[in-house]
Amino acid sequence: MVAFTIEQIRELMDKVTNVRNMSVIAHVDHGKSTLTDSLVQRAGIISAAKAGEARFTDTRKDEQERGITIKSTAISLYAAMTDDDVKEIKQKTEGNSFLINLIDSPGHVDFSSEVTAALRVTDGALVVVDCVEGVCVQTETVLRQSLGERIKPVVIINKVDRALLELQVTKEDLYQSFARTVESVNVIISTYVDPAIGDCQVYPDKGTVAFGSGLHGWAFTVRQFASRYSKKFGVDRLKMMERLWGDSYFNPKTKKWTNKDKDADGKQLERAFNMFVLDPIFRLFAAIMNFKKDEIPTLLEKLEISLKGDEKELEGKALLKVVMRKFLPAADALLEMIIIHLPSPVTAQAYRAETLYEGPSDDASCTAIRNCDPKADLMLYVSKMVPTSDKGRFYAFGRVFAGTVRSGQKVRIQGPNYQVGKKEDLFLKSIQRTVLMMGRFVEAIDDCPAGNIVGLVGIDQFLLKSGTITTSDASHNMKVMKFSVSPVVQVAVEVKNANDLPKLVEGLKRLSKSDPCVLCTINESGEHIVAGTGELHLEICLQDLENDHAGVPLKISPPIVSYRETVEGESSMVALSKSPNKHNRIYVKAQPIDEEVSLDIEAGVVNPRDDFKARARVLADKHGWDVTDARKIWCFGPDGTGPNVVVDQSKAVQYLNEIKDSVVAAFQWATKEGPIFGETVRSIRVNILDVTLHADAIHRGGGQIIPTMRRVTYASMLLAEPAIQEPVFLVEIQCPENAIGGIYSVLNTKRGQVISEEQRPGTPLFTVKAYLPVNESFGFTADLRKSTGGQAFPQLIFDHWSVLNGDVTDPNSKPGAIVKAKRIRQGMKPEVPGYEEYYDKL
Amino acid sequence: MATEAGVPVALSTYQDESTFQFERVKGSEIVRPHLSLGKNPSRDELESKITEYYCLDELVEVLKKSKEDNISREYNRITLQFPDSLICDSATIVHELQRRLGVINDAVSRQKLWILADTSYSPCCIDEVAAEHVNSDLVVHFGDACLNPIDKLPAVYVFGKPVVDVANLVNQFKTRYPIEECQSSKILLMSDSPHTYILKQVYEQLAVEYSGLCYADLALVPSTKATIIGYKPHSVVDAKFKTMNRALVGLENVEDYENDEFDIDTILSEHELFHISTPEAPRLLQLVTKFSSVTLYDAFTKQISQGPYPNLMRRYRYMHMARSAGTVGLLVNTLSLANTKKLINTMAKRIKDAGKKHYIFVVGKPNVAKLANFENVDMWCVLGCDHQGIIVDQSNEYFKPIVTPYELLLALSDELTWTGKWITDFKQVLKQVDEEEDADEEEKHDEDDDEDAPPEFDAVTGRYVSTSRPLRQLQHLQISSQEEVKNDVESKALVNKLSSAVAIKNTVSTSAQYLQTRHWTGLGSDYNTEEGEISSAGANLEEGRGGIARGYDYDREVHS
Repeated sequence: MVAFTIEQIRELMDKVTNVRNMSVIAHVDHGKSTLTDSLVQRAGIISAAKAGEARFTDTRKDEQERGITIKSTAISLYAAMTDDDVKEIKQKTEGNSFLINLIDSPGHVDFSSEVTAALRVTDGALVVVDCVEGVCVQTETVLRQSLGERIKPVVIINKVDRALLELQVTKEDLYQSFARTVESVNVIISTYVDPAIGDCQVYPDKGTVAFGSGLHGWAFTVRQFASRYSKKFGVDRLKMMERLWGDSYFNPKTKKWTNKDKDADGKQLERAFNMFVLDPIFRLFAAIMNFKKDEIPTLLEKLEISLKGDEKELEGKALLKVVMRKFLPAADALLEMIIIHLPSPVTAQAYRAETLYEGPSDDASCTAIRNCDPKADLMLYVSKMVPTSDKGRFYAFGRVFAGTVRSGQKVRIQGPNYQVGKKEDLFLKSIQRTVLMMGRFVEAIDDCPAGNIVGLVGIDQFLLKSGTITTSDASHNMKVMKFSVSPVVQVAVEVKNANDLPKLVEGLKRLSKSDPCVLCTINESGEHIVAGTGELHLEICLQDLENDHAGVPLKISPPIVSYRETVEGESSMVALSKSPNKHNRIYVKAQPIDEEVSLDIEAGVVNPRDDFKARARVLADKHGWDVTDARKIWCFGPDGTGPNVVVDQSKAVQYLNEIKDSVVAAFQWATKEGPIFGETVRSIRVNILDVTLHADAIHRGGGQIIPTMRRVTYASMLLAEPAIQEPVFLVEIQCPENAIGGIYSVLNTKRGQVISEEQRPGTPLFTVKAYLPVNESFGFTADLRKSTGGQAFPQLIFDHWSVLNGDVTDPNSKPGAIVKAKRIRQGMKPEVPGYEEYYDKL
Repeated sequence: MATEAGVPVALSTYQDESTFQFERVKGSEIVRPHLSLGKNPSRDELESKITEYYCLDELVEVLKKSKEDNISREYNRITLQFPDSLICDSATIVHELQRRLGVINDAVSRQKLWILADTSYSPCCIDEVAAEHVNSDLVVHFGDACLNPIDKLPAVYVFGKPVVDVANLVNQFKTRYPIEECQSSKILLMSDSPHTYILKQVYEQLAVEYSGLCYADLALVPSTKATIIGYKPHSVVDAKFKTMNRALVGLENVEDYENDEFDIDTILSEHELFHISTPEAPRLLQLVTKFSSVTLYDAFTKQISQGPYPNLMRRYRYMHMARSAGTVGLLVNTLSLANTKKLINTMAKRIKDAGKKHYIFVVGKPNVAKLANFENVDMWCVLGCDHQGIIVDQSNEYFKPIVTPYELLLALSDELTWTGKWITDFKQVLKQVDEEEDADEEEKHDEDDDEDAPPEFDAVTGRYVSTSRPLRQLQHLQISSQEEVKNDVESKALVNKLSSAVAIKNTVSTSAQYLQTRHWTGLGSDYNTEEGEISSAGANLEEGRGGIARGYDYDREVHS
């Protein structure tokens, strides 16, 4: 633990080349927080008295109780490197001191949005992988997400002690297991080839993979061993590193290196990695765990480990921990890997600028981001809100990408809907204070230069979840974060005591702020809805709401699923609606759009802010759209961004441009509340085939066109095999073989669909992947635990929307029943209206 | 012109003769269910029924009333107001009245009769404005009426006397409220005004068995100049039992209510309501919020029903939407109700104080199309009669939500409140405003702060809305006034300049703001080049369509 004054830290922040912003990401229970602990104990900057507790970054009470991380937490670390090591850093550096801003993120899939928010403000990621469980669903999700944000990964294979103590593997088995894990990480990385960031694959022989045990506090990289041996063998360290991984063998007789696993006599050679790296570790383990007291001192001496007085009295696991921690301290290996291989803000922003910034890549703001220029106009992205001890107030947590943010500085706060030159979502305000956030402690600083992570006080009322802060009025927004999860599970909340209602509404506002992904709305029947990504996420949110944000007793409904309305075919005939005055007619047809197109729209690949020509190119080249059609997309909906479009296919219609605004407004309305049961519409395309308009402008105004366009959209949908979509989870379950039967029987009763079942090589564990409708997922975890004797724990993550087969108009079918129930609940007529209700005869 | 060449090519859709067949009103049979006539009644039969139904004898007496000088009659210009459903009887009634008053033959009598049809606002209210067009000195209102007081004219209500199968009604009541369970339950009988005349009879039949029963008789406001024809309300009711233009009969003997320390609303909430006839949505919603349960009996179909009713919680959603709305349209759907003007002014002031923009609209018979014409209005607030004049949008047909003044008041207050009440009476709303104003008099916003006000959290969408208080955007006001100074003489575009200003006469114009966001900005804007400049060449002039919508030039050619 190095105690620093705030001034010293502030000084470090100025040397941006020596700053590393990184997140720790992994699957749940792979040991992120524990690993982070070992770093904090060694290099944490806060005073020693405050640190040293277990799971330092789990700051909330429920986090400690449940043993999972819920909110991501930032801490700063200090590291000094030797000149020798500094030489190996392949980017610009200045001196030997380094400041590492580390964000520990949650691993449970339900909290993926926290990871997204953490990734945005960092440049590198430490991916933690459990040596036994390997790459799991969440490892993959977060890795993909980090690569999408152009964040460079390094890997640590954690819990190696489990492999040694519980599974009792051989050295070669362990090597194979390591190799497989590295391989599967690289498979994921290789799907993201991005020339701007370069090769992101990880290689043990280049030092971008570490191995260790967070629990025992030890870890190593091949580089560390190479340093040891390079002196001994008199070989260059880089060369040594290459030799210590892969098919590289040392023949002790000839003292020669070879890449064949047999010597001249056909005798089996030992792999160099096993011989030089694993062997000392195995020996230590064997000696200590088998209580071979006589062997231990010689071994320790050989490895240059000296024990202090009372440490010599220890034995078994306790001794092992102490010895291993002295032999291969985890912090050393990790800090070295982070500093040498992860990019500094200067390096990273050069290639991240264009993916971070919404505006043109050659304007002043983007250039300033690219150069990480502390003297330019301020560009700061607030990625999340962190509650303060003052109830209802928040720190805006974010990163300075350009310029310097100061206490008292007057800034422009740009919300997500801000567009340059417009006044919507734009606020002018002074920043009260800038603070440094470390775990649960906060220290005020005067200013913070580009490249650093910072907390802001006094602007929380202006931003709900995230936003851009600038000083230049020409600056566009930073790009909005895209979450890998959607809030598909909802509950309705109401107060037990009617007088508490204002507190509930205020609480919902605070809840929306404190979580990047939760959605608080009011539905058609006036109920307050809280939507989360999964059962656990909702549970935590509601707990916070009841105990903290609102602080009043609540009644909570059973979970509800949100559905989508769509069509499965083209309208069986041209839908026609006449305006109320009968003088205007709109002729349209509806048809489904491909799932890939919908996903691209939802992911923002195809988006309404793009230039229409560029957008048409993407639609034509990637999705096979007709270019003329693609250029004539009038709008997206709902909210102007949703995955439904209006395409103008009419020819030479007089006054058509005049009604465009009305048509767009009507389409937003119609897609927000579909005709089947008032749910959001998804994946439809409405083609305007023809329009007849009254010659007199007053008779073709909004009042005539808006209701008509809405009606005709409904009619065309009802003519085109209307259907509903339900959200589906991807479930991943790891379990021993004997639990598989139980898993299958539970999945069968819940419309689950198994997509793969694999044994993880070298372990008795099986991985089952399945699709499970969200509707059936409530209580799934409990059922699974019951029928497998507690051996199976599922991870559920929203995967896709799937059409629920059946006729929506038939209340006896599954979708029909859902539709009817919802319609009755909302006070609508129980039957889905026929197209005739919206269709007008000529 | 019979050849195909007669079809013009300029239009997009191929349109032939059949497209332009004008729709004709089909001679439909007039149905008069309210009179319960037999099939194919004779003329005489009809006349006698109408006379009976509308109590014309009694009406004639009133109209014949003379002034003190005994020569001329008191009312000379009489307007007869009919709702749409009764307009079919209007001609017969006028003929009958004219005959009996001797208007046609007698030159001495200067009495004149007018029929007011197609009432501009709600047909339940007396249409003073229409009556004043002919300087009327008496309005005779036919059909169901809300009995809400009006400001000026004397009025006569003729409800009509629909035939009711009382035996069936009593039976239905007994099945709904089985005697064993509900013997002492508190039940209130109520009906619309035409059906009220039977309530006493029903009450007397049922009160023997049901001890908790009472009924609601009509009650006119004491100060009114209106009279009722064909029915005499029960007159001896304590003022404390009067509410919603009804007097509750049968409560005098209940011990709990003897002292004066009770609230009429508490009494109502303790009662179950049995309502004869189905009221319009706003009235129904009001009843649902006031009583513990509501049962409707339809006198025509002889069926009882218990829902679905308009949902108050939907209004709760609208109230939240109103909080984040920037522009409020005050939709005046009545001109005759007492206090209308005062309420308009009060509401306008409150909206302004809350930093929102308002526009006032006076629209007769508002419908979806009329309101959707004003796209920049985020929220409508309708001032209308609580019987039929308030729009309660059950099926989400309206483009923008519609709230009542009371709901808007809740939304405009800084502190979020929701009482679960649905107050429509203008007087009560005004009282509410006064109370609130007393409460927050000392509280004033210091506007000299040069920082922006924070956005509003919209609980409906779960987002922040920055446009909810357009009048508070001081900064932005300054920006726009600077723009105005920069008067670009070179510019060719007249429209561009106008629409770039968001402030007109030193107040923010949200309409102007909205116009700026429109894709279509006026003629010629579709000929703009990519860079946003207007190309000097423009388009060639073409001859367009001529004529009027009912028959364009080429239609006439086709049809001639």
